[in-house]
Amino acid sequence: MIVTIAGQQIVSLRRQRIFLGLLATFLVMTALAGVIGWSSHNTIVRAYDEAVRVLAAAGKPAPPNPFTHKPPLSLLSNMAIYIPLIGALVALVLGHLSMTDDQSSGIGRLVFSRPVSRTSYVLGKMLGAGAVIALILAVSTVVSALSLLVVNGVVPSIEELGRLCLFYLLAWLYLMVFALVGMVTVLMTRRQSLALLSALGVWLVLTFAVPQFTSGAHPTSSLNPVSQPVSTSQAFFDVTAKARPYSVSEQYKEASARILQTAGAESTFETVKRVLPIVVLLGGLGLLAVILVRRHDYSRSIAGE
Amino acid sequence: MEGPAIELRGVTHRYDVDEVLHSIDLTIEHGEIFGFLGHNGAGKTTAINILTTLITPTAGAASVCGHDVVEERIAVTECIGYLPAEVRLYPHMTAAENLEFFAKLSGVPEPRVAVAETLAYLDSTDLADRRLGSFSTGMRQRIGIAQAVLHRPQVLFLDEPTAGLDPLGVRQLRETILRLNQDLGMTVFMNTHLLSEVARVCTSIGVLNHGNLIYKDSIEETTRRFPDEASLEDIYVLMEGPAA
Repeated sequence: MIVTIAGQQIVSLRRQRIFLGLLATFLVMTALAGVIGWSSHNTIVRAYDEAVRVLAAAGKPAPPNPFTHKPPLSLLSNMAIYIPLIGALVALVLGHLSMTDDQSSGIGRLVFSRPVSRTSYVLGKMLGAGAVIALILAVSTVVSALSLLVVNGVVPSIEELGRLCLFYLLAWLYLMVFALVGMVTVLMTRRQSLALLSALGVWLVLTFAVPQFTSGAHPTSSLNPVSQPVSTSQAFFDVTAKARPYSVSEQYKEASARILQTAGAESTFETVKRVLPIVVLLGGLGLLAVILVRRHDYSRSIAGE
Repeated sequence: MEGPAIELRGVTHRYDVDEVLHSIDLTIEHGEIFGFLGHNGAGKTTAINILTTLITPTAGAASVCGHDVVEERIAVTECIGYLPAEVRLYPHMTAAENLEFFAKLSGVPEPRVAVAETLAYLDSTDLADRRLGSFSTGMRQRIGIAQAVLHRPQVLFLDEPTAGLDPLGVRQLRETILRLNQDLGMTVFMNTHLLSEVARVCTSIGVLNHGNLIYKDSIEETTRRFPDEASLEDIYVLMEGPAA
């Protein structure tokens, strides 16, 4: 039953233009991440070569090339930004669409006039969303590996491919949070537009507002995947910065930076600790979705637009 | 098949403080085509929502095919088919894909075969590979009927099935209901406003007025009881009273 519901969702989603448009944007950004990494790399290398020439002409020794010991996966560091930005939006829309059809058109009434338990139904919806996100990220993994190989001329080692897969596994966990936010907001509101706006509100809070406070209101730290908390003398931000370990978007970026080796190394335990708030939030949202579906009155439709 | 197809005993339902059904007692035997009449807001859809297990009655007990709608929800849903007032299946999927999905949900052993057979039975095979989003009301209604009967339910619930249909669509629907009843022995519970159809299709009627069941009897007995009224519409108006 769970697989039947998941299968229906996948078939329906792959034919919805809004979802396909966002998906295409995400995959283009994935490919661009490799190109941007290559472009940044080349710019710095050209500047370095020029500096070496100038220094050599002046008879001075040149410092070592900064990219010599840079791990190849760091070329994909922009992906750690695109996933919370575009990837999370794709997941939100996916979660929203997977619930809103059944709600607004009254299909839920038909589904629950069949021998279907509400728990199976919501688990099927989650499985469908999870499978679609996994498929998207699998394609992204291939695109990332290809962009390393083709654009940057780097043949990733087995360990690097493993790290890439780990990075996308973490991305799956993170995006599932937003897919569930999309679902839960549909179940909690009685208008489609309000549901989507509420989901976007949650995304804004988690991605921008919370990091603003927990990183000492440094304007760029919400986007910088390797940011460190900014030391501030303001007492307010000293307090809010203590919540940083629970800020899922920052912990996602920090853990991603460790996996892609764009930030200083830390123990596996520390990285796992960073992932924990994401897992807890995911579990909480999953439980909330089950409770809401079990309590939902499917004899009434939510208002469309 | 033991016992009645549908039974309500003292069924009451409240939405917050509004009581929309007041202690309804109703029995419908297997093989009946029952027309449930009443003004807008009388509580007809609420009754169907209870019988299809979508909502739980505030008080009283209801059973379908001998199964309690609250205690044996899954058993009830296994023996019923349901067509809501406004049929909107998944618009991005074809009719066959939609029907296959509902066949699987109903536990039909060979969903594709069941879909093909049902569409053929309803003369709707031509609609199979078209997406629902492009369908007219009549086409959607045909596919809606197909989804309601493809698992061969014992009891079929239809909520305002003629709404939005043109005269030809109404006639097709009438013929379909009669065939389902005669060929497959389905008991039909139909909420409707179209009294001319009730007179042609139903074997018994019930009239709901502001949440109270004020009348229930066979069509034959009804016309015998009101010999001076020219049509079922006149009888209905008489029952509902001028204030209705």
